[in-house]
Amino acid sequence: MDQTEETDAVNRDELIMQQQRQIEKEISDTIPLVSEEQPVDSLNNEYMGDDVYGSKVRDLAAKYRAIRRTRPDGNCFFRAFAYSYLEYLAGHKEDYDAFKELALKSKDKLVALGFPQFTLEDFHDTFMEVIEHVSPGENDKQELHKLFNAQGYSDYVVVYLRLITSGQVQEGADFYQNFIDGNCTIQEFRHQEVEPMYKESDHIHIIALCSALNVGVRVEYMDRGEGGQVKAHDFPEGTDPKVYLLYRPGHYDILYPN
Amino acid sequence: MSTPARRRLMRDFKRLQEDPPTGVSGAPTDNNIMIWNAVIFGPHDTPFEDGTFKLTIEFTEEYPNKPPTVRFVSKVFHPNVYADGGICLDILQNRWSPTYDVSAILTSIQSLLSDPNPNSPANSTAAQLYKENRREYEKRVKACVEQSFID
Repeated sequence: MDQTEETDAVNRDELIMQQQRQIEKEISDTIPLVSEEQPVDSLNNEYMGDDVYGSKVRDLAAKYRAIRRTRPDGNCFFRAFAYSYLEYLAGHKEDYDAFKELALKSKDKLVALGFPQFTLEDFHDTFMEVIEHVSPGENDKQELHKLFNAQGYSDYVVVYLRLITSGQVQEGADFYQNFIDGNCTIQEFRHQEVEPMYKESDHIHIIALCSALNVGVRVEYMDRGEGGQVKAHDFPEGTDPKVYLLYRPGHYDILYPN
Repeated sequence: MSTPARRRLMRDFKRLQEDPPTGVSGAPTDNNIMIWNAVIFGPHDTPFEDGTFKLTIEFTEEYPNKPPTVRFVSKVFHPNVYADGGICLDILQNRWSPTYDVSAILTSIQSLLSDPNPNSPANSTAAQLYKENRREYEKRVKACVEQSFID
């Protein structure tokens, strides 16, 4: 073995991944995947003496009765969306039945779009199992909470929603291409930004998922911008929202309207 | 004890047995489904032809949401293989998708043998020879092919 090979012995990728795993572990040891409901003004603890955020928290607290936090692991949009929508469905039999039907059919649709059937089935089975567990009538709210804090179930739901989102982006490639910047193709975007776990979501993910599942989402934006109020945006525009989320730069949590 | 990772690995194994891709094989070790041994046969019409390269695949409970750690046990002279056998391949790092299974991992590594990416070198000697002195590169690869018979 010559000298150059010796110096290559340090496997950089592995060192980087080790460090990343360490950071992730610190987060997962301290923050649950999905928290219990908390009062909206509990947000103030993070913004002591910050007037911009202070007034926005007051505005938010006037419109929403509670917040449920999600772990900031890059999956927060998908996890928050799934939790909030399933919670809604557990109380709305007709919408639940329609969603279950759509979810059942989604597997064949994704296979037809070119996803590998073998691995897709694994995620789909678990996804259906979770839907089954929260059917109206069973109405054990703790069950949903337990499932979403069990990493295995919780992450499989996230994976499956990512695949549905990716499928939607592929189906509507002509449309979604407009939102992808730079020299990234639709395929690259799907494989690099949508399908891998822990990749953060952008507008394009939200629009694609909402269209695929036919669900309205209202996102309240809270950032350092002027105005003293949070800004609501509905996806798709003009729909009646079933899911309410709070967005602060880089992170989504679940909101409960008054 | 059944966890999503273990359940999924049983499925991966079943599929690998029922529908094995050409030129790769793999199986869990006797007493631990989280650690697999695998073999990749050097692809035809490449300097790796006839080589039998052994690998280990280590999974965590986070599989398939996170990729396993894959490492060559056999010595492999290749631009994207580290001296310790670690592999520099995007799908095993930042482009991992939970839809990949063991079959997909092994076939991807097999095609990496045929098509190295000298622009992200894990072995700079191999990368340089691959770009600048293909004959010497092939000679070094053939030496590790012969070594793979003995390992």
